[in-house]
Amino acid sequence: MDPEVLEDWARKMRGLMILAGLLFAILLLRLFHLQITTGDDYTKESDDNIFTRKRLKAPRGLVLDRDGEVLARNRAAYSIMLTHGSAESDSQAIAALEEATGVSVHLGKRGRGQKRLRLKRDVAFPRTVAIVEERLRHEWPLDIEIEPQRLYPQGPLAAHIIGYMGEKQDELTSAHRRPYVAGDYVGQTGLERVYEDSLRGWDGVNYVEVDVRDRVINEHPLPDQEIPPQPGRDLRLTVDLDIQRAASRALPDSLAGSVVAIDARDGSVLALVSYPSFDPNAFVSYGSQAERQQLIQDPAKPMLNRAIQGSYPPGSTLKMIGAVAALENGITDTLSTFAACAGSLQVGDVVFRCFNRDGHGELNLLEAMEMSCNIYFNHLAQILGIETWHEYGARFGFGAETQIDLDPSELTGVLPDRQYHKEREGWVTGHLMNLVIGQGYMLVTPMQMALYVAALGNGGFLVTPHLQGEAAPPVRIEGVSDATLDIVRRSMYRVIYGDHGTGKRARVAGIEMAGKSGTAQGPRADDDAWFVAFAPYENPEIAVAVVVEGGGGGGSTAAPVAQAVIKAYFDDQARKQSVATATDAESGS
Amino acid sequence: MRREIDLSLLFAMAMMICFGVTMIYSAASDSDAWRSQALFAVFAVMASVAILYVPGKLFYDLAYPLYIVGLLSLIAVLVWGTGTPARWLSIGSVQLQPSEFAKIATIMAIARFLGDQSSERVSAARAVGIAVLLAALPMSLVAKQPDLGTAVSFGAALVPMLYWAGMRPLHIFFLTAPLLSVVFSFEELWGSDQAPIVFALFIILSSFIIQLLLARLWVTVTLLAVNLSAGLVTTYLWANFLRAYQKARIMTFLDPERDALGSGWNIIQSKIAIGSGGPTGKGFLQGTQTNYEFLPASHTDFIFSVIGEELGFVGAVFVLSLFLFMIWRSLYIGTIANNRFSSLLAVGLASMLAFHVFVNVGMTIGVMPVTGLPLPFLSYGGSSLLTNCLAIGLLLHIYAHRHEY
Repeated sequence: MDPEVLEDWARKMRGLMILAGLLFAILLLRLFHLQITTGDDYTKESDDNIFTRKRLKAPRGLVLDRDGEVLARNRAAYSIMLTHGSAESDSQAIAALEEATGVSVHLGKRGRGQKRLRLKRDVAFPRTVAIVEERLRHEWPLDIEIEPQRLYPQGPLAAHIIGYMGEKQDELTSAHRRPYVAGDYVGQTGLERVYEDSLRGWDGVNYVEVDVRDRVINEHPLPDQEIPPQPGRDLRLTVDLDIQRAASRALPDSLAGSVVAIDARDGSVLALVSYPSFDPNAFVSYGSQAERQQLIQDPAKPMLNRAIQGSYPPGSTLKMIGAVAALENGITDTLSTFAACAGSLQVGDVVFRCFNRDGHGELNLLEAMEMSCNIYFNHLAQILGIETWHEYGARFGFGAETQIDLDPSELTGVLPDRQYHKEREGWVTGHLMNLVIGQGYMLVTPMQMALYVAALGNGGFLVTPHLQGEAAPPVRIEGVSDATLDIVRRSMYRVIYGDHGTGKRARVAGIEMAGKSGTAQGPRADDDAWFVAFAPYENPEIAVAVVVEGGGGGGSTAAPVAQAVIKAYFDDQARKQSVATATDAESGS
Repeated sequence: MRREIDLSLLFAMAMMICFGVTMIYSAASDSDAWRSQALFAVFAVMASVAILYVPGKLFYDLAYPLYIVGLLSLIAVLVWGTGTPARWLSIGSVQLQPSEFAKIATIMAIARFLGDQSSERVSAARAVGIAVLLAALPMSLVAKQPDLGTAVSFGAALVPMLYWAGMRPLHIFFLTAPLLSVVFSFEELWGSDQAPIVFALFIILSSFIIQLLLARLWVTVTLLAVNLSAGLVTTYLWANFLRAYQKARIMTFLDPERDALGSGWNIIQSKIAIGSGGPTGKGFLQGTQTNYEFLPASHTDFIFSVIGEELGFVGAVFVLSLFLFMIWRSLYIGTIANNRFSSLLAVGLASMLAFHVFVNVGMTIGVMPVTGLPLPFLSYGGSSLLTNCLAIGLLLHIYAHRHEY
């Protein structure tokens, strides 16, 4: 042993062990911090790695017509998702995908903790299959996600009833029990919007256990935390698509217009047509931006729901208001006549004209209604007074909302009173002479007209129009006697069946009905054609209002549309009756 | 002559290797890695025991020739190396990592050189210069591969050996102060606002302490000048010397979240693995970070993360304790060696072991940057395992021959 060598090695070893001990203490402290102090945080991060939370979109409720025919259902939409990787591998996978499939994709920015990125939404099925095959071959970090997406099998047929859906751009997570996520589709108009809350249902939650390449290891790792989606509630409409179809078909192709058919007893909407229409599918397919833009900018305004948002002068179809008011106030009766119609009437400087330039001669109320003589009603207006007429107009629902459960909100039209005119060019009696024949400032919606004609037919009950659910009880219009209504109904019967009736073309074989035509001078070069009707004459079931913009004579253009609608309704009733009888006979035997 | 075997060190090594093979099985259970590691282990342990029978003076005689062979093999790697980056030599079907063996050869050469000097002469500038040169040659060859971690490990073995050989701590401080200057002036580490303040504090404090201890103005001024220039060239070094991926590793070490899915991935996932292990771990074979491949290189560089995840704090402490015991035992063998060469060799090997453990474990828990340094005995890899077993073999040899002369 060499004592010179030995003496300080033990001391140096202590020094080096202290150094090593310090270094190991650093490691141990750090380990203690990671595993003991913040271990739970890292356990959570570890769980986040392997458990992918998936939102299970609830299938939206179906929209069905009264017979169960489908207006809106769900289809499978395929999204291409980028699953894992870095910015570099992301762009490589995308380049390969684009080259192999010809699908151009948009790469969003991957946020921290965001595992999946949606590359392209709503890819056609064959293309999706092609991508899946390519992915399997190349092990691209891609996945396909399936979500329910709206499909409107009827296309434009009932577009204004259903409305359409739109993609939500921003998140709406807080303060809402059922948060929306950016990219969700939300009802924008129509019933899709009105019944959004019941249609959308409740989304579910699912977890899958994945490895680092997003390969699924376990489909149900956390069964306790899974929540199945609750599908939205189906919406059963009062609308009958057979009638809707007949109404659409009967309207002239070249002209805009609207048809409203309601159940005259309770206000159930049987058909609601606004033409031109649009295909709501354009709003739920991902690539149809140009198509949507075109629809919104189209000068023919296909997006406008003319049935509740179109404001038209009603023309002669409004004459029953004047007749009811006059009858109730003893101004006229079935026999009384005014000065004979000579084709025109001069009051002061103003000349009022009848459409029959040769004049109708001396007419009573029933004849005046049958032939739609303006001069008779001009005379009547001179005695009636604006206040009385306005009161009856209001009682039949003009100038007010119908309360229909539809979006966008309806217009109220205009039921002018004395004040209304004073605020403009001042009041003269001549204004009422125009108003009583549905001209002047008078504006109505087709829906209002349907309620009005239903009330005339059903014994004076104003109904609330609705597209689904229970009917609100009809309200008996005050101050209108059954006797008055009977006279007006008889006059409307003569419009259809009288020798000079302007509504002959609305007749339906085997069905008694009543109606009134109108030819209104509006802002357009050509007159708007109107026809309102109810059927059967006794205990009416259906009330119809038809307007054709620029259609000319109501009796010639609008009456055939009303005829088609009423015929479709009774054909449908007969068919259901026979089916019911056959079923009864079967179950009876 | 009776050969005494240090059973405690041999047993610790065997335990460590068995534990390593088990954890490799867990980390890569669907591959044959654990089997080939077990096979390597049999050869490596046999080799380490075989060393016992080598005559006492042979390693002293072979130190310089082995060192030359080591240098040549490192040059060969630069010329014929395989892999990216090229760190391996292919001889037939066998892949060798010469830098692993060069570590031992270099430590042997330094031990011989310093052993030949008396304690008093070690502090002489010429002796230190040659020792530094002996380390610097393989170091620069390895750095050129590039393998910064292994390169630094040569320096890490040198400094304790200089201390052991008799160099005064103050002089060691002089030797390492410029390196500390680099660290303390590093903008990326302290932020561009803080860096000048930290650097200035370091310069003032170190100068002050030196002046207080030595009271020699010229020494203080020299140190000041060296430190200042080292600090000032840091920016230059950063911009011109380091490769892009090395810069990225250091940047990532400082802020892993900067590129969580890219270069920061390894550190983040390793910390998640270890942290989620908690006190007692998720259980053997139950690590989700490991099994679902969130943890990269889990059976090689990040084997410690697997231990941390599956066996928890308990397992990690067990491993570190075992390493600390081996380091302590190696140093102890250094104190009972019968000559300066053997003693310095033991200290060099102990330092190498300690450095590897600290850097590798430090990397998995985010206190050291990501380097390719394996964890001795545990990481998968034949060259590393063989080198570490040879090191233990040398220590056993020193222990067995401690009474000879």
